[in-house]
Amino acid sequence: MKRAFSSVLLAAGLVVLPLVASGPYYIHTFILAMMNIALASSLRLISLSGQIPLAHGGMATIGAYMSALLMMKLGLSSWLSLIIAGLGVALIATLVGYPFVRLKGVYFTIVTAFFGEMVVLTAQQWQSLTGGSGGVYGIPGPDPIVVPGLFTIDFSSKAEFYYLVLFLVAVNLAFIYAIEKSRVGLTFSGIKQADSLAESSGIDTIGFKVLAFAAGSFFAGIVGAFYSQYISAIAPDSFGFMFTVYTLVYMVAGGQKSFMGPILGAIVLTLLPEVTRSFKEYVPFFFAAVLIAVIFFVPDGIAGLALRTTWWVSKKLGMKHA
Amino acid sequence: MLEIRGLTKFFGGLEAVSNVDMTVQTGQIMGLIGPNGAGKTTFFNLLTGVIRPTRGSVIFEGEDITGKKPHNVAKKGMIRTFQATNIYPDFTVLDNIVLSCHLRPGVGFLETMLHTRSGRRKDREILDRSLAILREVGLDGLAHVTARNLAHGHKRTLGIAAALACGPKLLMLDEPLSGMNGEEVTETMKLITRLWEKGMTILLIEHNMRATMSLCHKIVVISFGKKIAEGTPEEIKAHPEVVKAYLGAGHA
Amino acid sequence: MSMGGLLQSLLNGLTLGGIYILVALGLTLVLSIMGIVQISHGEIYMVGAYLVYYMVAKLGLNFFASIIIATLLVGGLGIFLERVCFRSFRGDPDRSMTIAISLTLVFQSIVLFIAGGKPLSYPSPFQGVLHIFGVAMAWNRLVIVLVGFALLVVLFLFITYSRRGQAMLAISQERDGAALQGINIDFVSALAMFLGCGLAAVAGGLIGSLFSISPTMGSFALMKGIACIILGGLGSLPGAVLGGLILGLIDGILPSLTTTHIAGLVGFATIIVILLFRPQGIWGHE
Repeated sequence: MKRAFSSVLLAAGLVVLPLVASGPYYIHTFILAMMNIALASSLRLISLSGQIPLAHGGMATIGAYMSALLMMKLGLSSWLSLIIAGLGVALIATLVGYPFVRLKGVYFTIVTAFFGEMVVLTAQQWQSLTGGSGGVYGIPGPDPIVVPGLFTIDFSSKAEFYYLVLFLVAVNLAFIYAIEKSRVGLTFSGIKQADSLAESSGIDTIGFKVLAFAAGSFFAGIVGAFYSQYISAIAPDSFGFMFTVYTLVYMVAGGQKSFMGPILGAIVLTLLPEVTRSFKEYVPFFFAAVLIAVIFFVPDGIAGLALRTTWWVSKKLGMKHA
Repeated sequence: MLEIRGLTKFFGGLEAVSNVDMTVQTGQIMGLIGPNGAGKTTFFNLLTGVIRPTRGSVIFEGEDITGKKPHNVAKKGMIRTFQATNIYPDFTVLDNIVLSCHLRPGVGFLETMLHTRSGRRKDREILDRSLAILREVGLDGLAHVTARNLAHGHKRTLGIAAALACGPKLLMLDEPLSGMNGEEVTETMKLITRLWEKGMTILLIEHNMRATMSLCHKIVVISFGKKIAEGTPEEIKAHPEVVKAYLGAGHA
Repeated sequence: MSMGGLLQSLLNGLTLGGIYILVALGLTLVLSIMGIVQISHGEIYMVGAYLVYYMVAKLGLNFFASIIIATLLVGGLGIFLERVCFRSFRGDPDRSMTIAISLTLVFQSIVLFIAGGKPLSYPSPFQGVLHIFGVAMAWNRLVIVLVGFALLVVLFLFITYSRRGQAMLAISQERDGAALQGINIDFVSALAMFLGCGLAAVAGGLIGSLFSISPTMGSFALMKGIACIILGGLGSLPGAVLGGLILGLIDGILPSLTTTHIAGLVGFATIIVILLFRPQGIWGHE
């Protein structure tokens, strides 16, 4: 009951955000925060099966390029391009996932990072397809939504993009939550806890790990596709290795154990550095400090901290009314 | 039911399992004993596809399953327990069994994701079946306890329950009695007997001699990867090679 | 391609191979043999490169001396990291990885802060060329190949014939058993980190004399290293050498045969093929 209430509060807050802080710079930051929420949460989805990839940046890049090319070379609608890009990324993730998933732990992590670098390299080199290091620009924005007689959303203002990404992220999170709570999510968790036991119960552990990797990457692809439509441009290093590492930081700092963890981590760690803009160079230090704090002092991350704080606060309030 | 021919495994230069022949008859309880390090768990691993044999074949119900992946072997009905990681520590006892019902019944991807009517029916079926299995092994009172908090003996029983959930035709138990106290041993022996009475074929690795002798119809003795004896408990007790293997030469 | 061109490419391949081998060996020692989730190993390589740069370009020290000093410093850093950061999280791969990630962030930002982001370079003391079979081969590359392989031999002799080296192998296979045999696990872990990080520093210093260095050069080393290890076999030192040699030759020779972007992807494709058909690597066990 309490958790549902705070989630609703958070959601309501996110909806009215652009009304509160309406400068384009603020809204741009909120959009980035939303993207990071989806990325961190989908990363956590993959980690439920016991493996942590560092390929998210690469997947977002592929999604962005795919969507841009579908719209510009084939003239598809932006919505169709978005979905197809996501599915394309999922397909690629399945194909590379099969060999990768055989590696354990840190080897899997590093080899997926290697894949991410290969994506950047391919984007830089494959001039004819991707326009090389300069990237692609002039990417059209999302197709206008026309409700006859009522209104037209033509995505000419940042606020409209914000509500679009809010909607996309909400849908993403709904899917991720559904997967986690379903039997599929149970299977992921079992594989993480006792891989050989699961395999001996007839569970195709390789298949499920690939499924987790592909599903999480699908959402990363969607985020990438959205970004290319929002910024109207995409370059090979738009989502580089450091970007992927930061996604991991959002997830860990937010709290890997709970669903809300990556959401809180992404919000706090996207907004905080923007608030102290002059200290941009110190962001890596700050993140490193946050990670160290999480390891030693706050293992459940920001989500755990929030939970404990609300419990403490309600205890205080409860006592007052005793 | 299970026929093993010439099973051999080399790890580099070390011959861990050496040309073992064995047959497990349907409806039997067969024991596999031998001194520590004799290769018994490696043998199980070879049977269930965790490792590939260097030579030899494994034939289950007339079908050659040599080298098949473990989850496919499980689908055929050969289910094993483990000595070490035999439970899902962060799940409740109930969820341990619920997940282990993966094969029976098989729940389709769409069924679970879309909460279809057949999906929900299967969920109820799985819940009922899981509780029934827990009742069978005597753990139903602990259904909502987190598995890592169980007493050691209960953990091993949970491992057996999880194996039962897979609907085995051949149940392979890897030291089910290890670390159990006298009372737990008796209860587990009763469980194994009950399972056999209901028609289960069982292959058992054990160190507890008393239990092995009283439960098993036939026993195979492995030492240094080789089969050194096979027979009924009485024959094995008196077998000179067996005595030598366990106690060292000079006692035969 | 002409004979001269082929020899040139071969030399390039061996040079790269030498560097890759050093990185892969260090990575194997730390990651596979000691089981330390050291994702920031690439940054160790980078720090080594920058230390050598500082000593050679700013302090004007002798190249070899700089490499030796950098190796000792970085090896010491490795011991410090093992003790302070990794030892307490041995059984906990998630937290170990998180610590390693924070180290990556810290190292990169420190170097960025001190030295700036622009690529730097320093000259190799080995100018000039050697003429063999009518082909000119750059001395600076030859030296790398020679130094690399010399270090290799020393390392192998150490691992095979010294007690400490054997202890390392024992620990990698059976940790508790090794402890019971009286092997001092803490000491050997520190030693492995010293060697692993030292090798990375040598590799960094050597490659800095050929190409330029930048704060982000570490990730390249880490990924090449992992590719070599996967190819050669996880946990295998000879495998690391084999993997490094093969990938080095591929990366050295291929660019002159085909376009650069195909060459870059071949290494990656090799990994995929190995994982699909022989996941334990060329030299690995099941």
